[in-house]
Amino acid sequence: MAYLELDNISKIFGKTTAVADFNLKVERGELVSFLGPSGCGKTTTLRMVAGFETPTNGKVVINGKDATNLPPNQRDVGMVFQAYALFPNMTVAGNISFGLKIARKSNNEIKKRVDEMLELIHMPKFGNRYPYQLSGGQQQRVALARALALSPQVLLLDEPLSALDAKIRVNLRAEIRAIQRELGITAIYVTHDQEEALSISDRIVVMYDGRTEQIGTPFQIYNFPETAFVASFIGTLNAFNAEIVDVQQKILKIEGINVVTAEDLEGKKNGDKVMIAIRPERLNFSSEQKKANLIDCTIANITFLGSIVRIQVKVGEINLFMDTFNNPFLDLPRIGDKAEITCSKEAVIFLKQ
Amino acid sequence: MENTNLSARKNPAAPMNWKHWFGVLPFFIFAILFLFLPSIRLFVGSFTDNTGKFTFDNIQQLFSQRVIVDAYKVSIELSAMTALGGGILGFMLAYAITIGGLPKFLRPALITFSGVASNFAGVPLAFAFVATLGRTGFITAILKNVFHVNIYQTGFNLYSFWGLSLTYMYFQFPLMVLIMAPALDGLKKEWREAAHNLGANNLQYWLKVAMPVLMPSILGSIILLFGNAFGAYATAYALTGGQLPIVTILIGAQMRGDVLHNPGLGYALAIGMVVIMAVSLLGYSWLQSRTERWLK
Amino acid sequence: MKLFARFLKIPFWSWFWLILGVLYYFLPLYATLDFSLRMERGKISLKAYQMAFADPEFLRTFGYSIFLAVMTIIVSIALVVPTAYWVRLRLPQARRFVEFITLMPFVIPAIILVFGLIRIYSSPLTIPFTSITLMQPLTNFKVGTNILIIGGYVVLGLPYMYRSVDTGMRTVDVLTLTEAAQSMGANWPTTIIKVILPNVRTALLSGSLLTFAIVVGEVILASFLGVPAFGPYLFLLGQHRAFEPAALSFATFLLTWAAMGIIQLVTGGQSQSSGAH
Repeated sequence: MAYLELDNISKIFGKTTAVADFNLKVERGELVSFLGPSGCGKTTTLRMVAGFETPTNGKVVINGKDATNLPPNQRDVGMVFQAYALFPNMTVAGNISFGLKIARKSNNEIKKRVDEMLELIHMPKFGNRYPYQLSGGQQQRVALARALALSPQVLLLDEPLSALDAKIRVNLRAEIRAIQRELGITAIYVTHDQEEALSISDRIVVMYDGRTEQIGTPFQIYNFPETAFVASFIGTLNAFNAEIVDVQQKILKIEGINVVTAEDLEGKKNGDKVMIAIRPERLNFSSEQKKANLIDCTIANITFLGSIVRIQVKVGEINLFMDTFNNPFLDLPRIGDKAEITCSKEAVIFLKQ
Repeated sequence: MENTNLSARKNPAAPMNWKHWFGVLPFFIFAILFLFLPSIRLFVGSFTDNTGKFTFDNIQQLFSQRVIVDAYKVSIELSAMTALGGGILGFMLAYAITIGGLPKFLRPALITFSGVASNFAGVPLAFAFVATLGRTGFITAILKNVFHVNIYQTGFNLYSFWGLSLTYMYFQFPLMVLIMAPALDGLKKEWREAAHNLGANNLQYWLKVAMPVLMPSILGSIILLFGNAFGAYATAYALTGGQLPIVTILIGAQMRGDVLHNPGLGYALAIGMVVIMAVSLLGYSWLQSRTERWLK
Repeated sequence: MKLFARFLKIPFWSWFWLILGVLYYFLPLYATLDFSLRMERGKISLKAYQMAFADPEFLRTFGYSIFLAVMTIIVSIALVVPTAYWVRLRLPQARRFVEFITLMPFVIPAIILVFGLIRIYSSPLTIPFTSITLMQPLTNFKVGTNILIIGGYVVLGLPYMYRSVDTGMRTVDVLTLTEAAQSMGANWPTTIIKVILPNVRTALLSGSLLTFAIVVGEVILASFLGVPAFGPYLFLLGQHRAFEPAALSFATFLLTWAAMGIIQLVTGGQSQSSGAH
């Protein structure tokens, strides 16, 4: 049985449906991300697990117990907020021990636990500092320690890194993941940053406009997006319209060029218009390696992105992006040159609208 | 960004141009003529005796002369009482209109009215309270005719310490509302939610988090209210006709007719008051900076 | 019904304090209004208002107070705007000192200010330790007294005017505006008149209204300096009459309310208080 279950959850505010038909089973020790743009309902769903919002419909079950109607101070979940989380009038130690003091633990227990937590977040000497003396990253680590001090059953994180600088975000998200793994604690992580979600999650729930678009592992979400939104939200994507030429042989026509896909065209007939996508890194110059599909194009732009070189090519009216690894000795074509690019059958994927 | 000036941006090594000070000369001259000179005159005068020589006598008499000590006592009591009373009422009202869950439209209305009420002092206020709680006042009449309570028989008198306190409260508590409403806004909702999340109930949140965070602001405001009441003259004079012995009234009497028979003492009285006001302003400023540190 | 249900969810204490506060605000005003309408026995009438406004003394003193208020506002703006502008632009070092000056009126309430002003300017202005007279006492001359009281009023209103203008200048970032204007070839007068002033209009209006409210109702400086202004007139009226003072007090309240209301409207919410008198 799943450790955390969200059963048919929906939340309606007056006329607006913030969350609709949300279903999720989270296993013990899993880190699941809720990923999506602003307003997609991810934070609302999280707050329903925390108890700050009550679902209009549906159930929240934590470790077998129905928590749907429990107030937030009785749920045994730990929450890390996006900003302003720490109590400004208390020291770091004071903040971390807050929950323990409410639970009337003994002073010895409290001190031991606070020291443990400070060790966990690698800030052992910071006990007497005040929040205003800490950097943003340090404050969030203390917020994490404070939430974990009570050994909650589930850890909830609401965009904990959104307010921090890019460099700190990368380091801190790895730390959070490491701590989560070490403690084996079940966690839900809300973010709008797809790179963040991809790098630390066991599974991702992609949300848009209150609905669940897809649930899967990072690998699945990236490589096998099921809808146009998921495909476009995760990574860069070349997406365009195509017409089915031959259902049996799985041939589609784009801008007069025939391409072959590995996908099953079941239920479609010749002449149907569909939406397909190709990941930029699945394309390469045919001079390197010839694959099933060959496409003539013109070089439109070359952008150097560091480890990746992104080449924009024009196929008729369509723009395609092609990513190739940086290589100082690579002989790149010039803008305006004609070239032939290639990709495998499997690289051409379908998108449900 | 605020502290860059054009010359520094063009040439960081340029020395400060003394010509620039001409721009603020009129302001400084004005300040000298109408602020500094009078203040210095009072300051110097408080150390001068009747023959024009330097003396500490006047200052000493501030603490020894009966009339003066009594005046300070009453002033301090009046100010403290209305500061506390206004502070509590003001805080509660500010709470009600910010976090208290009242309909949203009430807040701007009450803030505007607080702005009006806190500026409504002096003679009109005194008259308004006479019309309310005077011998033939509105409330007095209601209490007599409806509740059969004659407050004047029980010893209440509008033209006394208590009456003046009630009148002062009229501008004290709106001032508190104006200061506390933004401060209460500064209480982040994340703190309350975090406290709940960690197992606390509402009372525990207030006692352990909200109140400690608000305390510098509350204390600072009460100190400001204290100074505000201490320096008030017109309301007291209009209401009590100069009968109530508070410091400002005493200074006024001294100005009119040297009731202390010692001009130097009058100056000392004024300077004593300035000291109290300065201390209260400093206290307020310091506490404000503490508030900003936590609520930024 | 839904609205009513929402009202019920509000905690009792919030309503309690709200009602208490509102009562405190309104009862004295209502009492004043009520009293002012009862000049004619047995019926409600505006007689008190008629009599009050028809009194030539009222017109004289009120008009005089308005005159003083307008002069105060003009002098204030003339002093504050260039200073605030200059401090922002060229003299950030002076900022602390200027702000100190604008805080002094809090520490020197009106009664003390007038004490000092009278003492200094009611005796001849001499060079210290000599018997060379520079100027006869200002208080000997009517114009001199006017100068004194306007100066005093400017001092009283200084904190609010300065803070209002300074905040306004910060909000519109006069530094960048000036650079933009100058890079397009504007000279100083053009910059100030065409670019800066229009942008701090709201701040000026706000500060001026507050100053106006302070001056019209002011009684301490006016009575000690012997100036025939509205404040002392009202006070004196209160000694002899009953209904007219109530009428005028209520009218004063309406005036203050109008001024504050306009300020709220144009500034969108930042209230300033001039505190006790």
